[in-house]
Amino acid sequence: MADNKKSLSDIVDIIYLNAENAVFEPKNDFLTLKIKLPVTVSETGQISEEVTEEQTGEDKTEKQYDRVFLHRAFPFEEKLSYISVSDKDANEIALIKNIDDIHEDQRKYIIDELDRKYYSPEIKKILSMKERFGFSYWKVLTDTGEHTFTIQDTYRNIHKISMTHVFLTDVDGNRYDIPDLEALDHKSYKKIELYM
Amino acid sequence: MVLINKAPPEVWRALENKGIVESDILLVSKCDMNRDGVWCDCWLFATAGEILCLAGSSAIVPTQYRLRDKRKIATEFKEISYDCFILSELSDFKVEELISTCRLVAKDKDGVFVLLTYMTNASKEDTHLFIKYINQIKEKGTAEVAEDEKELKAEKYCPKCGNRYADAERKICPKCMDKGKIVKRTSEFFVKYRFFIGIMVLLLVISSALGVISPYVSSGFYYDQVLNTAGEFYGELLLVLGIILVTRLLSLLNQVFSGVISTSIAAKVVYDLKKVIFSAIERLSISFFTGRQTGGLMTQVNNDANTIYWFFCDAVPYYLVNIVQIAALFIIMIIMDPFLTLLALITVPVVFLMIKWLFEYMGQLHAKRFGRSRALNSTLSDVLTGVRVVKAFSKEKEEIKRFNTQSVALAKAERNMQYFSHTAFPFAGFMLYISNIIVWGVGGWMVITGKMTYGMLVTFIAYMAMIQNPMFFFVDMMNMASDAFNAMQRLIEVMDAIPDVVEKENPVYFDNLQGRVEFKHIVFSYVKNRKVIDDVTFDVQPGEKLGIVGHTGAGKSTLANLLIRLYDVDEGEILIDGINIKDLAFRDLRNNVAIVSQETYLFAGTIAENIKYARPDASNLEIIEAAKIAGAHEFIIKLPDSYETKIGFGYKDLSGGERQRISIARAVLRDPKILIMDEATAAMDTETERRIQGALERLTVGRTTIMIAHRLSTLRDADKLIVIENGKMPESGTHLELINKKGLYFKLYKLQVEALRNIGIEG
Repeated sequence: MADNKKSLSDIVDIIYLNAENAVFEPKNDFLTLKIKLPVTVSETGQISEEVTEEQTGEDKTEKQYDRVFLHRAFPFEEKLSYISVSDKDANEIALIKNIDDIHEDQRKYIIDELDRKYYSPEIKKILSMKERFGFSYWKVLTDTGEHTFTIQDTYRNIHKISMTHVFLTDVDGNRYDIPDLEALDHKSYKKIELYM
Repeated sequence: MVLINKAPPEVWRALENKGIVESDILLVSKCDMNRDGVWCDCWLFATAGEILCLAGSSAIVPTQYRLRDKRKIATEFKEISYDCFILSELSDFKVEELISTCRLVAKDKDGVFVLLTYMTNASKEDTHLFIKYINQIKEKGTAEVAEDEKELKAEKYCPKCGNRYADAERKICPKCMDKGKIVKRTSEFFVKYRFFIGIMVLLLVISSALGVISPYVSSGFYYDQVLNTAGEFYGELLLVLGIILVTRLLSLLNQVFSGVISTSIAAKVVYDLKKVIFSAIERLSISFFTGRQTGGLMTQVNNDANTIYWFFCDAVPYYLVNIVQIAALFIIMIIMDPFLTLLALITVPVVFLMIKWLFEYMGQLHAKRFGRSRALNSTLSDVLTGVRVVKAFSKEKEEIKRFNTQSVALAKAERNMQYFSHTAFPFAGFMLYISNIIVWGVGGWMVITGKMTYGMLVTFIAYMAMIQNPMFFFVDMMNMASDAFNAMQRLIEVMDAIPDVVEKENPVYFDNLQGRVEFKHIVFSYVKNRKVIDDVTFDVQPGEKLGIVGHTGAGKSTLANLLIRLYDVDEGEILIDGINIKDLAFRDLRNNVAIVSQETYLFAGTIAENIKYARPDASNLEIIEAAKIAGAHEFIIKLPDSYETKIGFGYKDLSGGERQRISIARAVLRDPKILIMDEATAAMDTETERRIQGALERLTVGRTTIMIAHRLSTLRDADKLIVIENGKMPESGTHLELINKKGLYFKLYKLQVEALRNIGIEG
C-alpha cells in the first residue's frame, strides 16, 4: 500500500504550495499570490498556457496573481488542508497540502479568505419549526442573531455530514450550520430530530 | 428612479444627513449584509456618478423627552458602515457566489477587483437586477424600467402573514391560501359524479338511520315492551325477532351496496384524476420538468389522485353523515336523560385532547420510521444497481454491514411505533370506557330506583358507544384534510401552470421547407442572469452541413434545444427559411427538425416500436432501412428476437453505442429536412462512427445538418464550423480558415492531432 502511494505521488502533476514557493498577500479585500515555479514545470506548458494575463514579472519562474480563489477539497473533514488555489478563470494553480506548509505570517490571510468564502451562520438554538405542506418554517438563534428561513423538501435539505454535524439549506440556497447536534439544548434537538 | 427595494423614510433621512439629495438618486436596492460581512440592511444607492453603500439597521428609539408627549417614538437608521464608490471608475460588476453567501465585486480602472458588499443568497436576485440598472446608468446616464418589466421582481413575502413564499413565482402562501377556493375548484371535478356521490350520501344516511333504530329495537324495545310483563307486545318474540332480522338485513344490504358503488366509482375517479394530472403535465414546457424532480412528479400523480379521491368520496361524506348522526343521537340522549348524557360525555374532552396528542406523537414516530425505511430502500437499490462495483472491489461484507445497521435502525423505529400504538391507544380507549362505567353505575341505580327502565339504559349505552366511536376519526380529520389540501393545491398548480413555450395562435403552416436556418444574435439563459448563450449569430444554407465545436458545457446542446423550441430564446431570433420559429406551427417545426441527442432515451417496448416512435405508420421495411442507415441493423439482426426484442427496464440491456444507433434510426425514419446530431456518435468506436457517417452522408444530401461534437474527426465533412466557448461564438468559418486563424479551433485541433500522434497515428 505504501509503495503504491509513493508511486502515485511520483506520477501525479500537482504543485504544492509552501513557504518557499508561495507568498500570499491581501490586497483590497482580496488575496494575491506570488508563486515561484520550478522551471521544469513551467516548461511542460501545463500552467503557462492557461494563465498569462496576470503575469507581471518577466521572470519565467515567478508569477504574480492579482487575485486568487481558494477552495477546500474536503470542506467538512479537513478545513485547513488540501486547499485548491485557482485563478480568476477557475483554473487550478496549485494546492495547499496543509496550512502549516505556508509561511506563518500568511496563514491568517488564507484562513480569513476561507472563513469569508465558507461563512454560514451557526445555529445555536431552534426557536420554532413548523412544517406545513411540504415546507418548513424555521426561526433560529445563530451566532449572528435571530434568523427566519424556509426550507422546501425538508428531509432532503438537511444534509448530514456526520452523525452529529448537519447543515440546512433554505429555499434561497443559504446554509445554516449545526456543527454538533448533541450540543443543542433538548428542546431545539426535539425540533430537528424528526429529520435525522 | 428605479426602486428594486423601497427604502423607508429613516434611510432617506440618514442619506440626507450625508448631504445627498433624494432627487439625485437613480437606483435603490438592498442587500442583507455589508462590506464586512455583518448581517444588516445594506442599502445600495446609485446617482449618476456614484454608488453609495449605506449599511445599518432601522431601530425604534424614543425621541427627546417631552412632558406633554411622552409616548412619541421615532424610527431611526443606525449606521454601521458607509462606503462611496465612483461609478465611472468601476466596470465588470459581478455577483460572485461563495458557498453560502455572495459578494458584489467590480473592477476599477486599473483592472483591480473592488469589493462593494457581501450578501446572502436571498439578495442575489435583487443584486443581479441592480447590476443590470447600474450598467444602464453607466451607458445612458439614467435607469428606466422597461415597459414589459413593470413588475420589477417577484414579491417574496406573503402580504398577509409576512411569511416567505416557498417559491416566489408561485406566490402561494401555504398558510394563507384560500382553502375554500381550492375545494371549490377541485370539487368541480366531482360534478360529473354527483349522481354517484348523491347515492353514497343517501346510503350513508340510511345506514346511520338504521344505526340509530337498531339498538332501540334490539335492546330498549325488546326488554321494555316484549320481555316485560307490563309491555304492550309482551311475549311476541317472533314479531320482534322479525323486526331485528329485517333491520339487520337492511343494514347488511346497504353495506354491500355502498361498498360496491364506492369501489367502482373510486377506480373511475382516480383514473380520471390521474388522466387530468398527467395530460396537464405533458402539456407543459420542458423547463417545468427540469425545475422539479421528475420522480417526485410521478409519485405526485399517483398519490395525489388517491388522496383527493379519498378526501372527497370517503372523508367528506363520512364526516358529514357522522356529524348529523351524532347531533341526532345527542338530541335523543338528552331527551332520554340529560343528566346521564352529561355523565356520558364527561371524559370526552379529556380523551379528545389525549387522542390528539397521541396522533401527533404517532405521526412523529411514523415519520421516523418512514425516513428510515426510505434510507434503507435507497441503500438497497444503490447496492443492487451497483452490484458490479461491489463485487469488483469485493465489498460484499461492508455492504451487508451497512444494510444491517440500517435494517436494525428501521426495526427499532418500527418496534417503537408498534409498542406505542399497542399501549397508548388501548389506554385511551380505557379512558373512554370510564364514562361507560359511570353511566352503568348511575344508570343502574336509576333502574333500581325505578327512574329508568332497563331497556332505556341499554339503548342509552349503545348510543353512547356510537358517539364515541368516530372520535378517533374526527381527531385525525385535520391532519388528513391538510394532506388533501396539499394534493389539491398541487393539482391546481399543475393545471394552471402556463407553458413557457406556446404555439402562436395563428401559426404559419409550412409544408415544403427548404431548410435554411439562421440564428440572429441569440441570447439565452436557463436561470435568470446567467447567460448560457450570449450573442450567437450564424446561418446554415439548405443542404449545408454545419459543425458546432466547443468544450463540454459550452452551450452547444442548448443551441439544438433552442432550434426545436424546447426553450424560447431571450433575445434575438431563430429563423427557418426566413420565418421566425415562434411563428411556425409546432407540428411543422418538429416534423421537419429531428434531433438525435446525446441522451438517448428508449422507451420500454420492442426495438421496432422504439424506431417507429417518430412515425408510427412506418412499415417494417422502412424500419429495417432506417436501421441499416443508422448502422443499427447489424447488431439488431444478431439478437434472438431481432427487431422484436424487448428493451427497457428489466429487459435486454443495450450498450451506449447501440442505443445511439437506435435513436439515429428513429431520426432517420422521421426523414426531416433539418437534422441535428448532438454528439450522436460519441459512444461509438471510430470505425462504427465512420461507417454510420458514410451511410448518413447519402441521407443528408439535400438536408440541412447540424452536427455537434467535441471529437473533431466527427466533423471532418462539415461545410462550415462554428466554435462555441462559454456561450459566445468567437470563431466561425471552414476548417482551413479556422486552422489559419490559429485561435481556439486550432488549439483544439492541435490537441487532438497530438493525441493521435502520441499513439502513433499521424494526423
